[in-house]
Amino acid sequence: MDNNVVISTRVRLARNLKNYPFPYKLNEKGRAEVNEKVKDALKNGNSAIAKDFQYINFDNMTDSMKVSLVEKHLVSPEFISNTKGRALLMLNNPTVGLMLNEEDHIRLQVIEKGFCLDRVYDLADKIDTLLDERLNFAFDEKLGYLTQCPTNLGTGMRASVMLHLPALKQSGAMSMIASNLSKLGITIRGLYGEGSASEGAIYQLSNQVSLGISEKSAIQNLKNITEQLVNQEVMQRERLVKSIDARDKIMRSLGILKTALTISHKEAVGLLSNVRLGICSGLIKDITIDKINEIITEIQPATLMVTVGKPMSPKERDICRADYIREALN
Amino acid sequence: MKCQKCGKDHANTHVKTIINGDYKEYVLCADCAKEMGYGNIFGNMQQEFSNMLGSFFGNTLPAVSQATHCPSCGSTYYDIADSGKVGCADCYSTFYDLLLPSIRRMHGNTTHCGKKSVAGIEYTETQPKKVSKLENLKAELDKAVKAQNFEEAAKLRDEIKELEKNNG
Ligand SMILES: [Zn+2]
Ligand SMILES: [Zn+2]
Repeated sequence: MDNNVVISTRVRLARNLKNYPFPYKLNEKGRAEVNEKVKDALKNGNSAIAKDFQYINFDNMTDSMKVSLVEKHLVSPEFISNTKGRALLMLNNPTVGLMLNEEDHIRLQVIEKGFCLDRVYDLADKIDTLLDERLNFAFDEKLGYLTQCPTNLGTGMRASVMLHLPALKQSGAMSMIASNLSKLGITIRGLYGEGSASEGAIYQLSNQVSLGISEKSAIQNLKNITEQLVNQEVMQRERLVKSIDARDKIMRSLGILKTALTISHKEAVGLLSNVRLGICSGLIKDITIDKINEIITEIQPATLMVTVGKPMSPKERDICRADYIREALN
Repeated sequence: MKCQKCGKDHANTHVKTIINGDYKEYVLCADCAKEMGYGNIFGNMQQEFSNMLGSFFGNTLPAVSQATHCPSCGSTYYDIADSGKVGCADCYSTFYDLLLPSIRRMHGNTTHCGKKSVAGIEYTETQPKKVSKLENLKAELDKAVKAQNFEEAAKLRDEIKELEKNNG
């Protein structure tokens, strides 16, 4: 069932060291100690994967480089709001990140392309166990892993999938779906744009509750609901592309992307979403889904500036973005 | 603080976000935050969820006479309710009864189920993990002593003592 509705899968675990106050109460010296302890624990872990982690230094980074890491979901906006006393340990393929001294001492995150909740959780779990053997985690029999914000108590886990739901969005069902999901302990939000109005119809689905539900159950729950949403989306797509107007919109979107000389991020994301739908429905055959996913990542404002290697005004960015897309699609 | 969207008082949600390539921070009231979708976020536009707790805790603030300090980090219950952030692991045991109603409201539940840290596992013959943890602590102690980091060494010695006591 490879219909490309699920773009990527992510699992995040929140952990804290028992003998240090949480980051918000922790002074600079304490933060440095926490950073060192986690780095040491990872380096001395009995696992091949642990040794390949890279320490990312934020001292000489431009603002665009920092924002670009947020655009690529490698760090949070909170993390870059003040990088002092914080650290990022990273691994590529699979993508693993450890944000240190963000909202918790450790925010471990694993991201992979496609729909692979079990595999992503297994890797996060493995790295967590490795750290657990060498660090003294703040853990309570009743409340589970203790976190700076009580919303993360229990497993400290947030599992999520990124979905492309253009047909469901067009059907106007998204707000009803969102309110039904919240009753099931699942949150959905648009990735681009504010609230439920998502430019590009890209949504993030994640578990809301972490206390009183095991990792396995929370993941199973998320998996079931994702599968149901995917099925609904696929059904809606079949219905949608029967209409000449919908097919016309898809092909015109491709035409604009292939010819435009200047294009805003918002417009580009909307058109790319239409083209992505066209590829999935077999209307467009000479462009791959991977290519579209890559373009969506690369045309984000800060990421674009990092690639070009210089700051640009919004107007310059729109021209540069149009150039990039034309080249990628022609 | 005034809400930057509607101008009303009692803005308590600090939103940290990326808008068109730039990092932005703003302050919203609970209503506007909810309306703009900052109520339940994870990821790209992650906000400081915690500040919403301020309003969560608001109704359950205890009488002043009850307020005590956390022995480890010095936080009072009021500090936690006000910031929406818990100071340290010991705050949870210090203010357990006070925090519980809010925790129940958030999760619909108050008892953990799932993975356990080795710090929380009782030692048995079939679970040798704790031994390796003990060995690790001893190795760390050696390192601390060699580096003449006596403050750290004292901390580690206490931890080792407690582990041995539990194991023995
Ligand atoms: Zn407001
Ligand atoms: Zn405390």
